[in-house]
Amino acid sequence: MKPPASASWKAPLKFRMPTAENLVPIRLDIEVDGQRYKDSFTWNPYDPDSEVVMFAKRTVKDLKLAPGFIPQIVQSIQSQLADFRSYEGQDMYAGDKIVPIKLDLRVNHTVIRDQFLWDLNNFESDPEEFSRTLCKDLGIEDPEVGPAIAFAIREQLYEIAIQNVTSARENRINKKGRRGAEHFPLSKAGGAALDLMKLFNFRSSVVRKRKEWDYYKPILDLLSNEDVDALEAKEERSGR
Amino acid sequence: MAGKSPVKKAASSDSTPIPNPNQFKPPQISTKFTSPAVKSEISSIPTPTPVPTPTSRPPPSQPSSIDADIIHVPSHSRWFSWEKIDSCEVRFLPEFFDGRSPSKGPNLYIYYRNSIIKLFRENPSRKISFTDARRALVGDVGSIRRVFDFLDVWGLINFSASSAPSKPTKDTANNNKSADAPSLESPSFAATTSKNSSTSRRFCGACKSLCTIACFVCDKYDSTLCARCYVRGNFRVGLSNADFRRVEISDEAKADWSEKETLLLLEALMHYGDDWKKVAQHVGGRTDKDCVARFIKLPFGEEFLGDPYSKETESVFETNKRMHLTPLADASNPIMAQAAFLSALAGAEAAEAAARAAVTTLSEVHDTTASKGGRGSLARNMRREADISSNGDTNLNAPGRTYVDVNSLLEKEEGDIERAIIGITEVQMKEIQDKLVHFEEVDLQMEKERQQLEVMKNLLFIDQLNLSFRRSYALESEEQGVDNVKADVF
Repeated sequence: MKPPASASWKAPLKFRMPTAENLVPIRLDIEVDGQRYKDSFTWNPYDPDSEVVMFAKRTVKDLKLAPGFIPQIVQSIQSQLADFRSYEGQDMYAGDKIVPIKLDLRVNHTVIRDQFLWDLNNFESDPEEFSRTLCKDLGIEDPEVGPAIAFAIREQLYEIAIQNVTSARENRINKKGRRGAEHFPLSKAGGAALDLMKLFNFRSSVVRKRKEWDYYKPILDLLSNEDVDALEAKEERSGR
Repeated sequence: MAGKSPVKKAASSDSTPIPNPNQFKPPQISTKFTSPAVKSEISSIPTPTPVPTPTSRPPPSQPSSIDADIIHVPSHSRWFSWEKIDSCEVRFLPEFFDGRSPSKGPNLYIYYRNSIIKLFRENPSRKISFTDARRALVGDVGSIRRVFDFLDVWGLINFSASSAPSKPTKDTANNNKSADAPSLESPSFAATTSKNSSTSRRFCGACKSLCTIACFVCDKYDSTLCARCYVRGNFRVGLSNADFRRVEISDEAKADWSEKETLLLLEALMHYGDDWKKVAQHVGGRTDKDCVARFIKLPFGEEFLGDPYSKETESVFETNKRMHLTPLADASNPIMAQAAFLSALAGAEAAEAAARAAVTTLSEVHDTTASKGGRGSLARNMRREADISSNGDTNLNAPGRTYVDVNSLLEKEEGDIERAIIGITEVQMKEIQDKLVHFEEVDLQMEKERQQLEVMKNLLFIDQLNLSFRRSYALESEEQGVDNVKADVF
């Protein structure tokens, strides 16, 4: 095992999602003629562009939205894909990054809150698999929770990856040394990662401290209808 | 997985439901197969692509009452089982099985497929939309969509659901340039039944347009694409340009008169005679030109109209020109076909009379003008014809004469050419034979020389041996002699 204090500088990798499948999280929030459509899902960027149009059409048809949604959906998806692809050619530093991922979702009647650690270096990681297992273990019956969890994980990973890219770029600009890359304050998550690395040295144990147990436990709530309505109303008000 | 409903395959009103929750392969199969009622907009387009499972005519009626506990599945999806993956699934959704991405494996496919089907079966009378499925599944929407489409097409979901068909229009999307767009269009048409399985009219699997000039068939996945889609690359994942082979439609369409159509044609001719428009109408689906062309090509078409002339000329020409084994009205000789057709049209006696007159005049003309020997024989043939046919004169004389004239010239030319070709080939063969003989002789000589050499070698060897023996003997005797001398001396 490498001593944690050493500068473990890894060669910059090409940007990609640090997961087994290089999928892009897409979030849609479109309003046309008073109809609001919010959605989030994962998209395979290697699908051809015709898929986007087809998907938009199907979604509009299935959800019986106004046809004016189609071009907006297509545009939104494509712009997000374009963003993703713009990062794609660039380098990203992937150090020994173990980041905490937080879940705080409400899907229909289910509220889930959770926090866990994720290894950014593991390019075999699969948020979908994780989400499936989580739902099965917690006995979540609502099938829409799974995708939402996977999406949330992916989104956070995506953001972190983007930050890595920007930090790499800035590093090159600043021409800091190798150690500079390590100590550069990337983000809160990055800071957390370093702390965790300190934890995993030979002096402390791997077992989590008791006071942190509550944080890392998944909390699942099933809401009643009134609660759901109340929450939705509150969200809309805060959203506007 | 509680409350798994028994599955009934091949929904038809006379088959019994099979209450077998664990085994989804029915032990009995009803005789009538169905086409999914849901796909009414697709089944209206006949599809010729080779169907992986037996095709059938669409049933007259769907079972009107659908029990909540019985799930209907079309017979061509009989292979489905919860735990196993069938080969057609591997074929149509290769992305899960080619190991390109580690997490996209068969397990994932089974998860998607089973979840979608379960979702549908919870409420079988309602069609599930792709968005419902997609929302409930963890994964990227592209793959989910493909699995969903596959299941939809094969009738494993949304089959005989009562709600209005909400199949999204993929036609416009297919016209975009892409290599992946109609990934499941071709299996959709492969799976549905064809109304006219007898005709081989080709419809493109991607854009559902009639293929006119040429189409491209992929045998690996049994899909047909029109030229436009092929050029655009509108085929599914996993295929490339090389997998398609070109199939000409023009030959197919023309030669592809089914028995039924021929029968209709002849019927129509009996009724309507010359009115080719009505004939075409009666046949249905063929233009009047097509009908005419087909009629001409029919080997015995004239029999139905009782035209003895054509048959006689046939036999005469056959005996004289052995190379032409084809009957008179064969398309290979279009002018003759025309002549036959015209004679059929004009009526038996008129044609006879015309031909006779034409032949006699022609022979007279030939006799008077100094012509080549071939022509002379031709004239003799024609005179023989004239003897057989009766005498008369009609207004078809002139064209008939020219036709016969031109035809005779043509045939003579053909005969000449053939004879020349035969001569050439014979000469060539002779040459080759001579060469062969020559080579054989050379070979023989070589053999002889070799044998002689062998003999000489042997002789030489013997001489050498003798020499060496003698020498050694001589040496020995010398020594002995010396010894003797010495002995004597002592």
